[in-house]
Amino acid sequence: MFKLLKIIRGAGEATEKYPFAPFPVSPNFRGKPEHSPAQCIACAACVTACPPNALTMQTNTAEGKRTWQLNIGRCIFCGRCEEVCPTRAIKLSQEFELAVGSKADLLQRADFTLTSCYCCGSAFAPAKEVDYALALLAQGALSAEQAEAMRPHLETCPECKRKQALASIEPAQALMRG
Amino acid sequence: MSVAEQSRIGRNYIAGLSEKFPAAMLEVEWQTADQITVTVKPDALPEVVSWLYYDQGGWLSVLFGNDERTLNGSFAVYYVLSMEKDVKCWVTVRTLVDPVTQEYPSVTPKVPAAVWGEREVRDMYGLRPVGLPDERRLVLPDDWPEDLYPLRKDTMGYNQRPAPTTDTETYQFVNDGGESRVVPLGPLHITSDEPGHFRLFVDGEDIVDADYRMFYVHRGMEKLAETRMGYDEVTFLADRVCGICGFTHSVAYASSVENALGIVVPPRAQAIRSIFLEVERLHSHLLNIGLASHFVGFDTGFMQFFRVREKAMTMAELLTGARKTYGMNVIGGVRRDILKDERAKTLKLCAELRAEVTPLVEMLMETPNLKQRTQGVGRLDPKVARDFSPVGPAIRGSGFARDIRVDHPYAAYADMPFGLHVLDGCDVLSRVLVRVKEFYDSLAIIEHALHNMPEGPLLIEGFAYTPHKFALGYAEAPRGEDIHWSMLGDNQKLFRWRCRAPTYANWPPLRYMLRGNTVSDAPLIVASIDPCYSCTDRVTLIDVKKQKATTVPYQEIERYGRERKDSPLK
Repeated sequence: MFKLLKIIRGAGEATEKYPFAPFPVSPNFRGKPEHSPAQCIACAACVTACPPNALTMQTNTAEGKRTWQLNIGRCIFCGRCEEVCPTRAIKLSQEFELAVGSKADLLQRADFTLTSCYCCGSAFAPAKEVDYALALLAQGALSAEQAEAMRPHLETCPECKRKQALASIEPAQALMRG
Repeated sequence: MSVAEQSRIGRNYIAGLSEKFPAAMLEVEWQTADQITVTVKPDALPEVVSWLYYDQGGWLSVLFGNDERTLNGSFAVYYVLSMEKDVKCWVTVRTLVDPVTQEYPSVTPKVPAAVWGEREVRDMYGLRPVGLPDERRLVLPDDWPEDLYPLRKDTMGYNQRPAPTTDTETYQFVNDGGESRVVPLGPLHITSDEPGHFRLFVDGEDIVDADYRMFYVHRGMEKLAETRMGYDEVTFLADRVCGICGFTHSVAYASSVENALGIVVPPRAQAIRSIFLEVERLHSHLLNIGLASHFVGFDTGFMQFFRVREKAMTMAELLTGARKTYGMNVIGGVRRDILKDERAKTLKLCAELRAEVTPLVEMLMETPNLKQRTQGVGRLDPKVARDFSPVGPAIRGSGFARDIRVDHPYAAYADMPFGLHVLDGCDVLSRVLVRVKEFYDSLAIIEHALHNMPEGPLLIEGFAYTPHKFALGYAEAPRGEDIHWSMLGDNQKLFRWRCRAPTYANWPPLRYMLRGNTVSDAPLIVASIDPCYSCTDRVTLIDVKKQKATTVPYQEIERYGRERKDSPLK
């Protein structure tokens, strides 16, 4: 009995002052994903990787817009998005106080403009993704001018590229002429 | 992957089967060195399973159905036996079920452990085990349509629901104990994540029989994994099977796919998996020992165990970034390394845990209440245990030396320092003591693994996804073994995922553990198999003779469990 009292005495105060004092978490804690729209190129790598579909994307070609969305209510804080992001636009933070008064507040959105096809003019890929690809080329083998010269090619939609490629082959030209 | 002739384990069982059932054997295939699948003719199924089970020292780990009509035109049922006598390996007995008659002979009359599995196959696939003594539904609710079988490939999508067919409960609870009063416990507990409903049939204070019903919140995870998720994402779903042993499930799932594809996980990843698994065991066992204190009326001890348990949770947060060891596994390895700083802190926490738990355990053992309330209570008879294949501390407390970590070493357990703790008291006390011993082993394993961490990569990449390969994966959770069986599809998804949590194997024998005890022992006995919940919100007492019902609050039945005075039944 005295032993027990001694243990209790030795334990001191086991409870924390939280929420009246901040509650520290370990340095590698996986909390709310923080998204930086400025850094994001809307490539959808995170959306493909996300196991619970907390991250989704919607592409509206009529409005030339792609919307990235995070639903914190679905997030399992696994950090797959952080692992696959090519531009480090998403990172898990230390934040864990995620309760909201209304369901709509669980959603986070970011809109991205789509670039229009050089040939047909239809919207097809996020402008920032195309710019990112060009910047990568300029970082690599090509000079800045050479890379910029590639722009028309990169800004052509897959459909038009296919047609162009077809048009460059002799037998296909014969077929198209009828 | 084909397994070379000389490295095949379990050839003796196949030779024995071919000799005893020469006409029944259709096909034998090794998935890994120690996993064999034998296809037999349906008529011979009960004899083959029971020969492997009783004559060759097998235990029925899991059984499940599979809709293979798109592959070979038939349904199939698989009985997975863990062979643990001399040669340790896995023998899966498979039989094809005719898609027209949809019938196969039931194994339950010969091997009682098959009862839940066969009832579930009937619910999920509509395959009728002929001769099954208990033909009630197991998983499906009463208002589910008769002819709709959720796991068949041609049934509706995972996100659709059929219209309910009835408003009333039609489930029949079974009482073999004769005329008695009924004490229903359930269907929900406030802290539980797996509600269940118990009917205790009592004569005065004594329980003469018990029946129960689970699956009120069946989440349909197997269907979800097969239809919506990629096979590499299912590790994150497997994490969510359990709120306590989630990492164990993801290890079991990941290793089932790794076994099927022949992926060799790097040693460092294996060691890290073992560490995380033991961290999980630490906090789970402390939780259960704490609850045992609570149920015998030693509430101060309960508070102290929970205070100390927080250190195990801190360890998990430190190592994995979350208080639960979630999201660490991927097919082929783990995602996070253990660095120097984390290692030092974890070792410090281990030492603190050992120092703080030891006096608490001594105190618990000296509490007269503990022995008085747990010795001889909730007896799991060795005969019943042998028949029903329970797992974890429940079976180790009944004198059987069964532990997947020892019998079929996975992760890095082959090189770890730990014992197999077996007690033969068969009662609640034995189960508590087994947990206490395993707790210290877990600390030793974590320390050993951290001191002897192999070097090398954490993850294997660049393996090929081969359609329709299948294999077992397994891991010992704090409350028994988790068994997963995965068959890959041809679309980067799973064709079939069978996940069996340990408590699934421990429910059927619980009935026999409750018989002969008093009502006040019931919460204690249920807690001793360490299910994901242990008691119930409130209790309704029905006096069958007087047609009178009274409701007793949960606190009252719990108080009665501790003090054993002023029975609420009177």
